[in-house]
Amino acid sequence: MATLSSDLIWEITRGHSATLVKRKEAGGVQFSRDKLNLRNKYSRKYEGLVADKAIGVQPGDDGGVVLLTKKPKKANQPSSHIQVSTFGSGRSTRKTYSAIVKSTANRGYRPDLRKDAVARASAIRRSQKPVKDDKQTKLRGAKARAEAQGLSS
Amino acid sequence: MPAHIPIVKKHRKRFNRHQSDRFKCVDPSWRKPKGIDNRVRRRFKGQAAMPKIGYGSNKKTRHMMPSGHKAFLVNNVSDVDLLLMHNHTFAAEISHAVSARKRIDILTRAKQLGVKVTNGKAKVKTES
Repeated sequence: MATLSSDLIWEITRGHSATLVKRKEAGGVQFSRDKLNLRNKYSRKYEGLVADKAIGVQPGDDGGVVLLTKKPKKANQPSSHIQVSTFGSGRSTRKTYSAIVKSTANRGYRPDLRKDAVARASAIRRSQKPVKDDKQTKLRGAKARAEAQGLSS
Repeated sequence: MPAHIPIVKKHRKRFNRHQSDRFKCVDPSWRKPKGIDNRVRRRFKGQAAMPKIGYGSNKKTRHMMPSGHKAFLVNNVSDVDLLLMHNHTFAAEISHAVSARKRIDILTRAKQLGVKVTNGKAKVKTES
């Protein structure tokens, strides 16, 4: 059990939290830097700081992903508060997703976040792929003529 | 590119203040006419249209750029990381005061995450 109820923490901190990122654009978007926030969306459901149980998926140091979960019984022991398990880049993505689901949602640990956890793991794995080079843009007008001149002479 | 319903702007022109075209001391910024006899206020035929809530954009396309993204102002690489799960709905816009060196870091990270950058070519010079 956390020291305070989640709803109370949320009501107190929702306007000004260290994890909150506010922007004026797009009608005032609110994102969250919380590691235990799967969508980076500042809301009661996703904010990990507030919840007794929360799931986080972060990129691993050398590829792969790291799964973070909060231990509800260790709320007063910060050093052992968060369970960390690593899924390396060698493990196939599908096995990574199923391992994440088995260790969380299938055990009744935040089953509402099942899809989000898998989606985030997938997005992270995709971001770790080598990036493709940009396509070379076709030159137009004076530049194209100069190029053609250069080739012919 | 994200799929979305077509963006419809119901009134592309600016709403200019009544008689701002006649007097240079009347600024074009919109002010609602309040006079008792004012013909614009009374919506007479042939008069300038007044802004009203009906001109508002569809909620689904509000704040949307023609590409279908919404802009998110980014100052550093960790701001780009916020858009990991939102790269279909949000595009990063690098803040104007960010140096060319840091812009390159932001751009490479955005490329990895598949985040569109609206002003990716600004300040960053490429060899040619």
